[in-house]
Amino acid sequence: MKPTTQLIDDPHKGLALAEQDVYLGERAEDELIMHLERDQFVEKTSRPVPRAALSARATAALWALRVFVVLVSLMVLYTFIDQLH
Amino acid sequence: MAAVEASTASGLALPPLSDEDAARSQDRSRVHDARHHRRRWRLLWLLVGPGILAMLGENDGPSMIAYASDGAQYGLGFFVPFIPLLFAMAYVCQEMCMRVGAVTHRGYGELVLQRLGPVWGWFGAGDLTLTNLVTLVAEFVSIRVGLAYFHLGAAIAVALGLALVLFTLSGGRYWRWERIVLGMALFNGLFLLAAILVKPDVAAVARSFDFSPFPGGSFNTLLLLLASTIGATVTPWMIFFQQSASADKGMTPRDIKHGRYDTAAGAVLAAIFGVGALVAGAALLTHNGSGIQGFAGAGFPEALRHVAGGAAGAVFALGLIEAGAVAILTICASTAYAAGECIGVSHSFNSSPRNAVLFYAANVSVALVAAAVILIPGAPLLSIALNANVLATVLLPVSLVLMVMLANDKGLMGPWVNKRSTNVIGISVIAFVGLCGAAYGIDSFLQTVHIIGS
Repeated sequence: MKPTTQLIDDPHKGLALAEQDVYLGERAEDELIMHLERDQFVEKTSRPVPRAALSARATAALWALRVFVVLVSLMVLYTFIDQLH
Repeated sequence: MAAVEASTASGLALPPLSDEDAARSQDRSRVHDARHHRRRWRLLWLLVGPGILAMLGENDGPSMIAYASDGAQYGLGFFVPFIPLLFAMAYVCQEMCMRVGAVTHRGYGELVLQRLGPVWGWFGAGDLTLTNLVTLVAEFVSIRVGLAYFHLGAAIAVALGLALVLFTLSGGRYWRWERIVLGMALFNGLFLLAAILVKPDVAAVARSFDFSPFPGGSFNTLLLLLASTIGATVTPWMIFFQQSASADKGMTPRDIKHGRYDTAAGAVLAAIFGVGALVAGAALLTHNGSGIQGFAGAGFPEALRHVAGGAAGAVFALGLIEAGAVAILTICASTAYAAGECIGVSHSFNSSPRNAVLFYAANVSVALVAAAVILIPGAPLLSIALNANVLATVLLPVSLVLMVMLANDKGLMGPWVNKRSTNVIGISVIAFVGLCGAAYGIDSFLQTVHIIGS
């Protein structure tokens, strides 16, 4: 890249090259940003979504699921530990 | 994090661009380019990944041993159509994960935690960590069984598994990680090769699509068989993994069609290779499945060598090594995603280890703990390996119920909520899995406490 040295030797051209670099850098960054959806940025996805408002029926179903899981898990773990002996 | 403020031409402020965003954006630029120039095959190549990895990752060591054991003990009938049916069920569940990940750009763990509350969020993470640890131990056992055929010991299995985890994490890019694991996962086809090498009766395989004969034995044995076969096909880690990986890959609602192709391709390949393991195992049927027990020794591959020759045994052994290795990578990734999402820190392969310390630490440490277990002299590896799938089946309904709730959440999903038909199939799958898991758990418990006889 021979011309680079010559440009930097000239202060005006050196300044122009630096501005061009900044412009190209910003343009490359804009292009990068263009490929992502607005809600895809880390800054957006790191914000929590609001808690869902569940109906009374859904809440009751989730509680039933909790009880079911705890009971069956305890049974399976008991059986597993018993088998180890 | 090198954040740079940016703005659009219209003056609307955009969020800061992190290193993770920049890496993801580069991947997305290739997708935009392929879509713009109507390069269909390139677009498909760029967008496949999470679905195939979830499905072939679930064709792991314990699963392939479970399929082969089914074949060795019961023959081809019932299981040849049952395995594809289970993968069709898995497709329904995994398609929801992909869709929720593509629409919300968030992982399963964080959505459950934030949307449905901390109790379910932490329960899901705890459930996942427990089942993943048990399954990872079984994966190392599977590598050990495969290597034992070549007279290599447990230390080599541990070193190989850990080296793979470290190697795949070294790139700092999701794309690189995904392509390495995808390349490895295709060797799951070794089980199909093993099936060909045992020279099966093709007509008998074709005839077995009528779900008969139904497996015999006691009620508890049948339940164990169903629970372990279901656990070999759909598991909690797949749900965490595919949703988080779809978000990490940067998929958007425009990519849902290709995400479905990806998931379907994974399901078809996994079903074919799973049936391959079943057919290979069925070669031992006339020998009453003798020699397949004993994970400390060469077990299955050695038994196949006696029946179908050294090539079949060696291919099956290599398949077990591959299945264990790929599953270690995907299961460690799902644990790391869950840990990062629930604690609320960076959780992406596109982040550097410096920016996502917990994500990388969880990825490695869960593998280290599992590896340490198989080095413990006298550890009950056989019991752990056999119970891994059953435990996953028992805990699976919770993950599935929460997934269906997220996929029906209009506030999150907008126009991409579940259709009525998807809900009907999804709820049927949950009911079937829940019944099998609960029935086995309750029946086994009642036998253990001697309330009913075996």
